[in-house]
Amino acid sequence: MAETLDVRGEICPYPMMRTVTALKKLSSDERALEVVTDHAPALETIPTQAARLGFRTDIEESGGSEWRLVLTRMDSGEGA
Amino acid sequence: MKNVTYAVVAWGMAGVIYIATHRTDTQFAMYWAFGLAFGFVLQRARFCFASAFRDLFLLGYGRNMKGVLVGLGVASLGFGLVMSRQVPMAFLGILPPSANVLPLGVHTAVGGLLFGVGMVVAGGCVSGSLYRMGEGYVASWVAFAGLMGGLLASAYTWNWWWDRSISTAPRYWLPSWIGHPGAITLTLAALAAVYVGVLVMEHRAGMVLPRALKKQEPAESVGAEIRSVAKTVFVEGWPIIPAGAVLGGLNVLLFTAQEPWGFTGEVSRWSLAAASLVNLPAPLLQGVADLPGCAFVPSDGLFFNHMIFLVVGMWFGSFAGALGAGEFKVRVPKRPTRYAQSLGGGVLMGYGSGLAMGCTIGAFFSGIPSLALNGWVFAIFLGGGAWIGTQMIRRIQ
Repeated sequence: MAETLDVRGEICPYPMMRTVTALKKLSSDERALEVVTDHAPALETIPTQAARLGFRTDIEESGGSEWRLVLTRMDSGEGA
Repeated sequence: MKNVTYAVVAWGMAGVIYIATHRTDTQFAMYWAFGLAFGFVLQRARFCFASAFRDLFLLGYGRNMKGVLVGLGVASLGFGLVMSRQVPMAFLGILPPSANVLPLGVHTAVGGLLFGVGMVVAGGCVSGSLYRMGEGYVASWVAFAGLMGGLLASAYTWNWWWDRSISTAPRYWLPSWIGHPGAITLTLAALAAVYVGVLVMEHRAGMVLPRALKKQEPAESVGAEIRSVAKTVFVEGWPIIPAGAVLGGLNVLLFTAQEPWGFTGEVSRWSLAAASLVNLPAPLLQGVADLPGCAFVPSDGLFFNHMIFLVVGMWFGSFAGALGAGEFKVRVPKRPTRYAQSLGGGVLMGYGSGLAMGCTIGAFFSGIPSLALNGWVFAIFLGGGAWIGTQMIRRIQ
């Protein structure tokens, strides 16, 4: 079960910044982080920053202007 | 489809207001329509001037800045053509009557710097806060309150700046030095150079994921085709480049009809009206009546004027756009720091835009297209302020 980071209600650009902080803190045996956000611009910035840190992003719309992002560690060699 | 119902009701109300104001004063209706259009496009593209600067420093991410540059390019060409008709003999030293060729001095730099810090700390500039107010961001309402306070502080210190900087500051209009074609060409070339600089910053920062393109399937009928187009316009987020071009184009239309896009002068009128309601003395604002741009507008005791329709229209256009896309949601920050940031950032933006006689719209998005040097100087210090603001938000968790 992946750890969940709830950044709902946050102002720009904290959803992305707090996700990056959380990703950097993940221990190497943790494979994924789940982020819940209601800040649409983060749907573009989080995948880019996650990819730079070696994570793939899957976005799932949960309705009511909320999204669940699952960031999964990519194995070396797997492209973004 | 609840979204569609809400959106139809909201646009219906906007239409009723248009018709009602048109009977009173056609200018009211025109500014209302422009406000709606600006707000709608800002919301659909999430067109944010604060992130245009901030994301370059924070992430090496140029999406918003590219849109801003394209908008500036379109507007510079359009303003340039309009101004070449208004003042054919540019070298005679006559300035175009309504363009934002503003006194350029220390106040421009200080205003840009303060505004740049404020917009990053608050998480959005004035237009950004307005469209986010329409999307339901509570923090943006707080930022707007801060903005009104900052404008008031700026109004009470205006005479100090007037005596020391503004009254003697020259106004530099590029066409009076190098002619209309030269000024337009130079401006477009400078914008293109900045665009290349943005690309360099992006590549240094590493990869940027392109937006996932949706699968294109051939439409089966005209009805399906219309639904697909409507979805692109009203539901899916707009790509930034066309949005920038549309905003630039709307600015040219507004300039052709009346004056460049800008509204902090109007917000200052609300601040001054609120101050007079609580019996604060009205500040003596030297020289403002003769200044273009978004210089202070003393409270006149009236509630309605054409500009209030522009500002409220921007908010309403964003609100209606967010409703239609299912993106309206009341968003309440959980951390108390965010309220302090929004308020403080708003105050800095208010003080800065008072001094610079405009915000990212009036002093920048309308300043550079006015082919005025003050637009570029404001932009440079705006960028510097945004850099400082970025260092600050990195430390505020």
